[in-house]
Amino acid sequence: MDARKRDRIATIVFWGIGLVTLGILAFIIIEIFGRGLITALSPSFFSGKPEAKQVGGGIGPMIVSSLYLAALSMLIALPVSIGAAIHMAEYAREGRFNNFIRFCLDSLATLPSIVFGIFGLTLFVITFRWSYCLLAGAFTLALLNLPILLRGAEESIKLVPQTYREASMSLGASRWTTIKRVVLPSAMPGIITGTVLPVGRIMGESAVVIFTTGLFIRTIPLSPFDPAAPLAGYIWYAQTEATVLDYRKIVNGGAAILLILVFLINFAARRFARFYAKRKQLEVKF
Amino acid sequence: MARERYIKLLLVACASLSFLAILLIFIFIFKESMPAITKAGFGNLFLSTQWNPDQGHYGMLAFLNGTILTTLGGLIIGAPLGIGTAIFLDQMAPKKMGTLIRRGVELLAGIPSVVIGWFGLTILVPFVARLTNSSGYGIAAASIVLAVMVLPTITALTTETLRSLPPELREASLAMGATRWQSIRSVLLPAAREGILVAVILGMGRAMGETMAVQMVIGNSRQLTFSLTKGTGTLTSRMVTDMGEATGVFRSALFAQALVLLVLAMLLIIVIRVVTRKRKA
Repeated sequence: MDARKRDRIATIVFWGIGLVTLGILAFIIIEIFGRGLITALSPSFFSGKPEAKQVGGGIGPMIVSSLYLAALSMLIALPVSIGAAIHMAEYAREGRFNNFIRFCLDSLATLPSIVFGIFGLTLFVITFRWSYCLLAGAFTLALLNLPILLRGAEESIKLVPQTYREASMSLGASRWTTIKRVVLPSAMPGIITGTVLPVGRIMGESAVVIFTTGLFIRTIPLSPFDPAAPLAGYIWYAQTEATVLDYRKIVNGGAAILLILVFLINFAARRFARFYAKRKQLEVKF
Repeated sequence: MARERYIKLLLVACASLSFLAILLIFIFIFKESMPAITKAGFGNLFLSTQWNPDQGHYGMLAFLNGTILTTLGGLIIGAPLGIGTAIFLDQMAPKKMGTLIRRGVELLAGIPSVVIGWFGLTILVPFVARLTNSSGYGIAAASIVLAVMVLPTITALTTETLRSLPPELREASLAMGATRWQSIRSVLLPAAREGILVAVILGMGRAMGETMAVQMVIGNSRQLTFSLTKGTGTLTSRMVTDMGEATGVFRSALFAQALVLLVLAMLLIIVIRVVTRKRKA
């Protein structure tokens, strides 16, 4: 029958598409690891100091910059987005104000990261006279991540069963106490999983950091006002400027390390969320 | 209680921050691009294809053209792949295979753009060069790179839309004797149309704003071209390439390009709002 034949062709086509998607991913990962894993795993590379002119430089301060930047930026963004999410989920009624805030969030979410980058450059680096530093990057990236963080937190809060709130309030707890003691702890695993994407994005973001934190350093940044060179930005810099002869090796190794970092964060946050959820359940049982 | 009131106020302030952010970004980008609009002139800036800051030519049309063509190219390759993958996941994939692809797509979304750009530069550009006997840099390479980058966005959002459809839709269609392909084509896809459209538009937003990966494979020349394998530039790639040494009107012209991107991004959001409002009505 004609229809059956067409159905079979469609099935084959969709299987093909699925396999192509899987193939693209496998190809990229195998290629990146194949080229850079050996370099990435040598201690002189991942903990060594970068070189401006000679071969043999490492990327130690760059890895530290990336992690420091991610921590700092989440420290700024997470409280604000949880606060906003509580407002949207618990207090605000669906109306004009909420609708407007959602429009702003959607707009923030589609703005190209380079627009955030040059905004951070003009506001923090130039107008505030911070010059290139971790804090400028952290604030800019906090704005960039606000929409995803907020949505993740809001959804987790909305998933907390209504009966929890009713039980708490019927015991005489105020609304805020209910949120603080009942709603937020139950929503925490979800909120933590919701940070995976933003942290991964900070690690991989280069268009923002090259305009806000700086491109090249040789010592590990300590203060938030120190200039830094997050790995993703440095990979781009090493590739574009190619001031050292072994820049290919640095980019290959750096890319492999960047992938490992992103995958590790993904894995760790999932694990932590599961652990946290399990512990909470035990407490309820007691 | 007074304390509860303060907390509530604080929470509203947190929520309002997104508005403040978008307002500040708009004001700053606009203010910085004013010198170019007043000194270089509207026509020189927005309606000219000549980019030669040393001689006072600040036309961005060549780069706008690059942005539009690479975005379209990325979508032409990436959207069918993404939508197809989502249908495969929803309708056909065996459980283990489905989980593998879903995880894979999540990983793909997390791969930093410099890494994909580096991959494009070292694998794709030489490949295109050999295939077409050119330098390999240009719109073709950039489109393929962008396709890889919009693929996770479109797949994830389409999968979500398909999953939110009531299962009775498919069951009813199959019970009427339709084959799986017939029910996908004439029942599921029409029902998911708006959601898929939103997925593609958001993918478009990502492609339009992608900077580093495109900058690494587009060739960064100033010419206006419709050829797939000639070096050109996009708005984003030009900003990255030139921002370092630009001053004065030159720098301001780059901010004007950012302003164009900002307006385009807002337009996309408004289109999405219109599309989804229609569904609710």
